[in-house]
Order: sequence, then structure tokens, then C-alpha cells
Amino acid sequence: MDEKIAPHLEELTRALGDIEKTGIRAEFDKLLAFRVPPEVAKESILRKFGGKRKILKVKDLSAALKNFEITGRILDIGEKAIRPQEGVKEGPSKLYTGVLADETGSVVFSSWKELPGSVGDVINIRNAYTRLWQNRIRLSIGEQSLVSKVSDSSLPQLSELSQSPAKKLIDVGAADFSIGAVACILQLSHREVLIRGKQSKVISGVLGDETARLPFTAWVELPGIDIGSIIRIEGAQVRMFRGMPSINILSSTKVSSVGPEEAEKLVFTFESVAKDPAPMKIEEIASRDSMFDIAAAGNVVSVRPGSGIISRCPECSRVVQKANCRVHGKVEGVRDMRIKAVLDDGTGAMSVMFPRGLAETIYGKTLEEAEQLMFSDISKDAVYEDLRRILTGRYLAVRGNSSKGEYGVSFVAESAWVPEDDLAVRVVELLHRLGPDDEDYVSEVSGGGINLA
Amino acid sequence: MLKREVAKRVFAKEFEACRELEKSTRSASEAADSKSPNLLISPLGLILNRVFIVGVLTELDSIGTQNEMWKARIVDPTGAFTVYAGQFQPDASIFFSTVQVPAFIALTGKARIYEPEPGSIFISVRAEEANVVDEEIRNRWVVDTAEQAVDRLEAFSDALASGYRGETLREYLLERGVSEELAEGISIAIEKERVPQVFAKQLRASIRQGLRTLNFEAEDTTGAKADQKEFVLELLREMSGGKGIDYAAFVDAAVSRGIPEEVVEEVVRSLLAGGQCYEPRIGIIRFVG
Ligand SMILES: [Zn+2]
Repeated sequence: MDEKIAPHLEELTRALGDIEKTGIRAEFDKLLAFRVPPEVAKESILRKFGGKRKILKVKDLSAALKNFEITGRILDIGEKAIRPQEGVKEGPSKLYTGVLADETGSVVFSSWKELPGSVGDVINIRNAYTRLWQNRIRLSIGEQSLVSKVSDSSLPQLSELSQSPAKKLIDVGAADFSIGAVACILQLSHREVLIRGKQSKVISGVLGDETARLPFTAWVELPGIDIGSIIRIEGAQVRMFRGMPSINILSSTKVSSVGPEEAEKLVFTFESVAKDPAPMKIEEIASRDSMFDIAAAGNVVSVRPGSGIISRCPECSRVVQKANCRVHGKVEGVRDMRIKAVLDDGTGAMSVMFPRGLAETIYGKTLEEAEQLMFSDISKDAVYEDLRRILTGRYLAVRGNSSKGEYGVSFVAESAWVPEDDLAVRVVELLHRLGPDDEDYVSEVSGGGINLA
Repeated sequence: MLKREVAKRVFAKEFEACRELEKSTRSASEAADSKSPNLLISPLGLILNRVFIVGVLTELDSIGTQNEMWKARIVDPTGAFTVYAGQFQPDASIFFSTVQVPAFIALTGKARIYEPEPGSIFISVRAEEANVVDEEIRNRWVVDTAEQAVDRLEAFSDALASGYRGETLREYLLERGVSEELAEGISIAIEKERVPQVFAKQLRASIRQGLRTLNFEAEDTTGAKADQKEFVLELLREMSGGKGIDYAAFVDAAVSRGIPEEVVEEVVRSLLAGGQCYEPRIGIIRFVG
């Protein structure tokens, strides 16, 4: 080996691992062939492949990650031939898609290049990225990615990984496509829907364990299962709806009742799961993509413009501006009321939407009363100003669903109330945590008292 | 529009001891962004810009050559905030032009630091929105703010006791469940102060005293009920141990010591609601941590 390039190769190996196998060595040699000085070539390779390795597990994946490394076993792989569009220079014509799994979960991937492995093999991918595709996280392997086969991996075997991973409900997210869980049925209702022109029975409801609740839909009958049943599901599908995961029970899903003996060993019971959710920190809510049926409490620090009386299209319920619906044109609007407010608990802030029923409750005025105010006052913002005067600074607790977007957390309230925890008890607890008065401080403020200590 | 910045809960005593958080100590990408807010850091490592305060408006003056600026003083149990609102804060200015002194008010605003000459530092709040509230909201704010300050004090003492500094300290705190921002703040604050425990001690004393000044409606005028509650709390702490205690057995134990059953229920309900206690199994009560 050339003495001049050896130290650089060594450094690259230290930073990036086995550079022969991953093709980094070839890239480096290519640069040298173009008469790039070894020093500069090394720098640019380091920049490109990242000197600092970011190694992720499947459970860590979220939308729009770049430049990370991941290792997993291929559970499934197939190829789709893509006909290049006419007139377009020939680009990649085959897309490989499949499922990659590690001990933390499995994820759908797509690759523009042929992979050095097939079903059952473990592969290592550097410079991978993720994107959201049909509301689901997808691991993407692009031209820039380096893929190598790992022959001696300690990852669980194919048979083990093929079982859908058992999850706590709070860990179910956009990266999952098939899961297993043990949970309790909290709500359940039957309805009939038309599927491809055929009346079909569908069961929908809510599942819960000690970590979270999630909505579910069953497309098959669930004999002997009712509210309060604790069930084990295997191979259920996860669907994303409005940013919220929902569990789909299909004909391929195994559902069984958990017997009383086994239920005894669980950390939750129907009663503990069915209890109203306790308020959680907004900071914690903000750390998740979405949360179903949770509670939070804080101060209304701002009532947002657009709160108050609005007009909706009678056809589609869209908010109507100047009697014009952007789909149905000129319409006779139907009046409605809503409040959008920022709730802040000192750890985080979120935008909360209160639909009419709740808006009337927390405002203390009905839509009709608000309308009277609107017509009796010359200011067009009379209702908004009134809302601000009544709500700004107030304490509210809310229960509903949260989802995270570009502008932070949005929360749709399904109920709202004034928190009523006992301040005197909290003060006693605080004084306990603060500990006894410091002696020197007591003597300082006690004034006339004589301190013999 | 950017993601809305959280409004920190902080007592006047900790707020006025804040100093500017130097840009160099912040991450490179953040410092490069000229839109990033002016951040302050407290001696306990609280990093803040927006604050939410509830207190008593005790003074209000219009200042400036054309009286175009309002200056207000808002008092909490530990000290006072100086608040300004000018023509660029129309919502707050309109509020100050109508409010009567004294009043309980709630206010959001951004922290401002002004250093006319080295060594003399003025810290104030530039008001955003404000409203008149009642005493119940003020009391609740004091308790919330005290809880968050005590969380911080505990993390801070833990940090000092660990003996770690810098990056190791940050990792240690994260491991202990401290939020990323506070872990960063504490490791910066500890470097800044020569005798970091002094302020912590003063703040503890101040909060203790402040909490004792709270006046909870009629129920505590005798103090008897508060004493009973304290007794119930101590008894629960004693009896529940690491494993928790059967609720019915605990009620019996408290009642046999002369505490009315409804007081026991009230205390337990409030501890559960506040998250200090939880039910690992139905009918079992256990302290968190
Ligand atoms: Zn319409």
C-alpha cells in the first residue's frame, strides 16, 4: 500500500468502519484517480459519509431523518419494474421494496439499487434516509446509500422477527405496519358499512393498556369479546388516520382472550385502564407524534384570532368567508362557534381547539348570546375581545387527542373543565420537599426571638 | 409562524437573578439564526425568554415623553417584576390603560435585559398579553411555580452533589430524567457561579416563606384542617413504603387516629390527581419515586 495514503485509509476505517466492504474505499480511489490530493479526498469522503456515525434502531425512526446507519434482517423483498417516462433520459428502472426488521420493530423500505442480500439476510445501510409515504414511515435506500451484507449478526432469526413485535400501545407509531399487543377493550360498537357495494359489519372501539389508548377497527367478528375483555392480538395492522395510529384487526390477525390466571400477572386491569387519564406534561405530549385520549392542564396564555362566531357552508361545513365557500361558491352560511387557544403549563405550549359545545361551556355564553353581543356592538371583534377578557390567564384541563405538526402540537378537546386538585395538600407536599428551615435563616427573620443554638 | 415558545413559570426572585445566556454557549445553528430569541439563564439553570406570571399589580405609571409607555410592578410572594408595555405591545397597553390598581393580574411577556454600565443590570418583562384574574388563579400559579422551582432546586442539588461538570454532568442529568434544556442550563449555571449553592439556599427560604403566606379561603382559617392534611400525608408516606398500601387499610388507620374519613379521601384524591401518588393496582396507593 502507498505509504502516503495509508494513514488516511486508517483514519477512514476508524471513522466509518469496514471501508472495503461498503465501497468507500472504491470512492476514495476514484477521487485519487482524478488526482485529488489524498488529504482532500479523505476530507470530502468524511463529509459525505459523516465522520460521526448515527446508528439507529427501527424504533428510533421518524419522518425526514437523514444520513444515519441502520442494520436489519430482510423479512420480505420484491421488485417493481418502473417504465421510464417517455422523453426522460433513462433513470433507475427498478424499485426494490420490502420489510427490514431488528429486535425493536420492522419497517417498510424501498431501494433504487439491488441489495446484496435476500430474505433472511442481515444488511447494514449507511447514509439511509426516511420519508413519509402514505402516512407511514419508509426507510429509503438511495444512490448515496452504502449497503453491505453482514454475515455474522446477532440479530434474532427470521422466524422470530417475522412474528409481529409485541408492543405497548404508546410505542405504536407511523413506523409500524404489523404489531401484536395485549390490551383491554374499553369501548366497542358495531356498525354496518358499504364495502365495494356490500353491506359489511365492522366493529370499532378503543383499546387500552397501562401506557396509552388507541382506537381499533375489526373487519371480522370477535366472538365472546366485549367491553372489559383483555385480549391478545397478533399480526394486527397499524393504519394512520389524521396522524393518529389505529389498530386494524383483519382476518389474518389472531385474537384470543387472556384468561384470568394470566390477567392476574398483567400490570393493568380493566378498572385501572378505564380510569380517566391523569393530566400529563405538555412537554411529554410534544415529544410524541400523536396521542389518543389524553389529558393536560395549564393556563390559557392566548386566545387566537379566528375564535368566536364563524360561518360554515351548509353543504360541506368548511368555514365560509364573506358568504363564499371555496368549493360551493355563494352560500347561506350556518353560524357556529369555536375557540382556538394556546394552553401552556410551563413545560410546553399547545394549540387547543374547542368545538361549539365546549366553547359555550368555557366561555359561559351560548352561540345565541354571543350573536346578540356581535349585533349590539359596533366593533366587529366584540366576541373575540370578550373571549380574551374571559379566558386569558385562566386554568383549564382538557381531554382529547393531540398531533404534532409544523407549528407544534395541536389538540382537539373533547371535554374541558377547571382543575380542582387541592392546593393545600400540594403546599404541604412542597414544604416537605423543601425541608426544614435553615437555622441561620430562621434566626435572621424571626426578629425579636432569641436563638440559643 | 414558528412553533410557539413555552412561557416559563418563575418567581421574581429567580427572574431578577437571571443573566444573559451567551450565544457562544448555545448550539452553532441556533446562534447563527438571528431570529432566535434573547435567552436568559437563571442561577439554577432555567433558560427562559417568554414568561407567564400571576401576581398583584401594585404600581402603574405612564412614562416616556408622550406617556406612550406603561411601567408596571407585579408582586409575587418572593419579590416583584418590572413590566413595560409600549406602542409595539398594543394589547398589553390597552389593558394597562383600563386596569385599576391594585388587582390580581395574569401576564405573558418576554424577558429583557438592560446593562447601562458594567455591573448594573436591569431585568424586566416586555408585556404581550394581560388580564385581570382572581385570587384562586394567583394561588394556583404560586403553587405551580413553586413545584417547578422545587423540581429545579432538586435537580440542581443533585448536580452539585454528583461532582460532575460539563458534558459528563449533562449526561448524568439526562440519565436522571431531567429535561434536555434544564440539563444544559444547569451545567452552564454551575460553571458561572462562584458559590452556586448560595442562591439555591436563598430561593428555598423565599419559596418556603411565600407558600406559608398563601391564604386558602375559609377552610384553613383555623389551620386545623391543614394540620390534619399534613398528618395524613406523613402517615401515608410512613405506611406505604416502597410497595404501597391497601387504600381501605390506610383509611382505617387514619380514622383510628382521629382524622375524618372525608379528609383522608380528599388528600388521597388530590395526591392522585397531582401525580404524587398512583395506583399500581386497584385499591393500592403508592408514592411516586
Ligand atoms: Zn361548501
